Amino acid sequence: MIRLECSTFAYDGGPVVLSGVDLAVEPGGLVHVVGPSGSGKTTLARLLAGQTGAGSGAQFRGALTLGGDRLGFTGGPADPRIDPAAWSSTVAYAAQRTEGQLSMMSATVAEEIAFGPANRGMPTGELRAAVQATAARLGLTDVLNRDPRRLSGGQLRRTIIAAAVVGNPRVLILDEPFQGLDAGSRAEVARTLEVLRAAGTALVICAPMLPGSVAPHSRVLALAGGRPVFDGTFAQARTAGLERYAIGTEGSAPDLRRAPAAPAVPPRRQVQAGTPLAELSGVSFSYRGENSRRQEKVLRGVDLRVDPGDIVGLTGVNGSGKSTLLQHLNGLLRASSGTVTVAGQPLGRRTAVGRLAGAVGYLFQDTDQQLFERTVLREVAYGPAAAGAGRETAQERARTALAAVGLGHTAGEHPYELGFVERRLVAFASLIASGPAVWVLDEPTAGLDQRGRNRVGDLLLDHAAAGGAVVLATHDGAFADALCTRILELKDGRIFSGGARRGAGGA
Amino acid sequence: MPRRRVFNPLTELLAAALLVVLVLVVNTWQFSLAVLVVAVLPGVLLSGKPRQITLAIAVTAGPLLISSFFLHGLFFPEGTTVLAEWGPARVTAEGLQFAALTGLRLAVFTGVLLTAALTVSIPELVSTLTHRRWNRRLVFVLGSAVGLLPHVAERARQITRAQQARGLVVGGSISARVRGLLMVSVPLVTGLLIDAAERTQLLEARGFSSPGPRTNYLPDTDTAGQRTARWLMAAGVLAFGCAWYAVGAGR
Amino acid sequence: MSSPLTLPATTAARPRSALVAAGAALIAATYLYLVLVQPAEIAEGIGGTSSLITLLGFLGGGALLVAGILPSLSTSSLVLMPLGIALNIAIGQTAGSLGLQIYLDAIGTVLVAVLAGPAAGAATGALSNAIWGLFNPLALPFAAGAALIGLLAGTAARYGMFRRVYLAPVAGLVVGAVGGLVAAPVAAFMFGAAGTVGTNALVAAFRAVGDSLLVAATKQGLTSDTLDKLVVFTLVALLAYALPRRSRAQFPFLRRYGVLAGRTGSATGR
Repeated sequence: MIRLECSTFAYDGGPVVLSGVDLAVEPGGLVHVVGPSGSGKTTLARLLAGQTGAGSGAQFRGALTLGGDRLGFTGGPADPRIDPAAWSSTVAYAAQRTEGQLSMMSATVAEEIAFGPANRGMPTGELRAAVQATAARLGLTDVLNRDPRRLSGGQLRRTIIAAAVVGNPRVLILDEPFQGLDAGSRAEVARTLEVLRAAGTALVICAPMLPGSVAPHSRVLALAGGRPVFDGTFAQARTAGLERYAIGTEGSAPDLRRAPAAPAVPPRRQVQAGTPLAELSGVSFSYRGENSRRQEKVLRGVDLRVDPGDIVGLTGVNGSGKSTLLQHLNGLLRASSGTVTVAGQPLGRRTAVGRLAGAVGYLFQDTDQQLFERTVLREVAYGPAAAGAGRETAQERARTALAAVGLGHTAGEHPYELGFVERRLVAFASLIASGPAVWVLDEPTAGLDQRGRNRVGDLLLDHAAAGGAVVLATHDGAFADALCTRILELKDGRIFSGGARRGAGGA
Repeated sequence: MPRRRVFNPLTELLAAALLVVLVLVVNTWQFSLAVLVVAVLPGVLLSGKPRQITLAIAVTAGPLLISSFFLHGLFFPEGTTVLAEWGPARVTAEGLQFAALTGLRLAVFTGVLLTAALTVSIPELVSTLTHRRWNRRLVFVLGSAVGLLPHVAERARQITRAQQARGLVVGGSISARVRGLLMVSVPLVTGLLIDAAERTQLLEARGFSSPGPRTNYLPDTDTAGQRTARWLMAAGVLAFGCAWYAVGAGR
Repeated sequence: MSSPLTLPATTAARPRSALVAAGAALIAATYLYLVLVQPAEIAEGIGGTSSLITLLGFLGGGALLVAGILPSLSTSSLVLMPLGIALNIAIGQTAGSLGLQIYLDAIGTVLVAVLAGPAAGAATGALSNAIWGLFNPLALPFAAGAALIGLLAGTAARYGMFRRVYLAPVAGLVVGAVGGLVAAPVAAFMFGAAGTVGTNALVAAFRAVGDSLLVAATKQGLTSDTLDKLVVFTLVALLAYALPRRSRAQFPFLRRYGVLAGRTGSATGR
């Protein structure tokens, strides 16, 4: 069906990022391409999608075979230029970043799905039928008239997949289709993919970890450092020891350097004498805005006390108010009623958010919203410098923080030239460098590979052991179970305490 | 409650543009006022969102009207009929008249175009332009720019919050403000450019550069009658303009 | 290659120079007409004729320019344009919310011009004001001026004015002065030179010493537009140097003319 032979691939005179790959996808086949960050998954996905990067100076040596056509590439100017429109009618591609996958021209999901065939001149009547058929297959009929920019993560992914497959391609390449999705949305997307596979579409799914469960005969290609390190069935892959390449399995417990130190500290903190690091008492909140007609309360009388040594996990479905609660801790949102106390000081209406950065560090779900400097070191040094530390001190703290997340060697690089996981860890390092006692983390492990996930786990335990505190919202149940001193479930804006977790499961 | 649409967006926008041209051609305060009362006012009231449009017109034209009165009311060196004088400032009858005329025309200009533009459905406009075989690149730039606007504004807002969370304090010295602006615009622009690179690939894969006519998911709401009407309206205004100037020149 | 999966060898589309020339000529003629003929008429109040000529001449010229340029742009330049247009508006608003007193509403146009060249810049400028006109009709008549800003910014980038960060504000100063000159008749004949409080104070000051409306508007344009473009060009230079190499690699214009200094940029750029 389609075959990629890649002897070498390099971007614009840079180092080789993918080599020695020979991957053939059979009709109706399912291939999982797994590998840690920077292993060459995205490059491989793009090559399969026909994006050989000829226009932007990339050098591809190898061959692509589709149907009966074999196209050879030597990395020179005489290489064939793939017609993306013709290629995509057989091989569709859904890339990692969702925003870049919307044409931004469509006011509704239906128009977005119709964009491809409309460009090819399909008459309006047929177009509507095709869109409705695809939507029905993928369970998107209910959202056809919604604005694609205002969908939930899972709906957006499925819309992008629908737009890619509306022309009935025979192969679909997906680059990290589950990134940043909660369990419910993951299941939605997985169902969608199952529908396509059952209908005979071959799938190539790139992800940082092995999936928890799939058909045992599906194929796994594992990459590490740009080279294939395993090629076989899924059942073989599970026992092939891929952990040594930092390829873990979804839903497994993190592998921690430091044993969770729970027994040393009283598990249920009876001593309430010391001042808490942060405290919410009776906090209610509702969004005020012209867009949200519902004045519904997102938080209803939430009490939360965070003491030194605490690692508090917040769980709950999307929209249960986790992020809203977290943003009260650093003053990004101000309670409608109730009080928030940080480092012994009650937050007033006028306390500038920027002034709290030294006491409470916040890690956003989308890292790319905060990186702005030209080198990683300057990026990480920004926080301490803004808090008034001298240039030398700030850089010293930045180096220490970078070493802590294992990125000491990247200090001179441009933050956006690092991979997703490294960027996430850079953002984490800039939080650490500011030295706040309370870490507030929104989905800290989302999209991380096994190495990154373990590293974050170790850092949290170290921080708590040193007298700091962590509050994290997460969908990663195994991670929370292994680390948290308390797991709280948020539901309809109220806390349903899960009680002390680590004593029960971890001992 | 949205207004029930009678005409195609293209027809409505053209009518508004031609009305502006008429106002400029006739150029009397009576006619401008008449357009304001007879066309703009009912248009706003029947739009289904009169408050929003009134607010938009007020925000756009209001400051200009006020400043126009101060500017020309107080400083109009060509004026001869002096009504009052404070130092360099002279209130002249000619200045006030000039301010009133300019202001009225400005109000008509803003009122007519905004009322038309704010009631037009952009997706329908994009669809009509596609069905009428307008240059697809132009249609893409229009549709995509309008589609990106809320996205860019929302991202800018989120980035500002993210940067505040790590110590950005809005305001302060000039250099702090410029730094603040960079802290927001660098991640914004970088993210948008990375998206743009992917969108380029996406458009190519979706056949954006394919030759041949395109279609649109939305049905063609344009009619042959409206197409004819548009040509007739344009020709009518052109003929009227020529006639008006011919008569004016002969006067 | 005869495979249906590949494209034939590149045939870069040329801009339709006749349309571009006609557009430029129309804009220039409109400007000259307004500057040379109108000062006599202004004493009796602004004629509707001059407003009409301003509107039709500048808008029509802008439309011809866009029609000439669009077919020649690559898809990657084309995708940049809506982004620049949205940025023009969004960064202008953010600037306001951060408490800055300058408009910065040409930042997207200049960014597109620097990354994709003068043609894309000019088209972005013109279309930006045309699309902005849907929300703010007052922007509409300034379309030709915005196109000129984009064109000049791209030309400045092409000839190395962005290779050093300290050269960019110089280019901004010059481009701003030209932009101010072109915008002045629009402000004077369409809107009676009324603007924001700041620009009005300037116009009022020039009027108080007896300048005609057009002269006062021109002097005001020369003052505030140069300042605004100086800041905008500086910001765009800083933005461009902050971009990762991966993003810069997408733009052939940057490579062909060595628009930004060096591979690493930061070493020589600062």
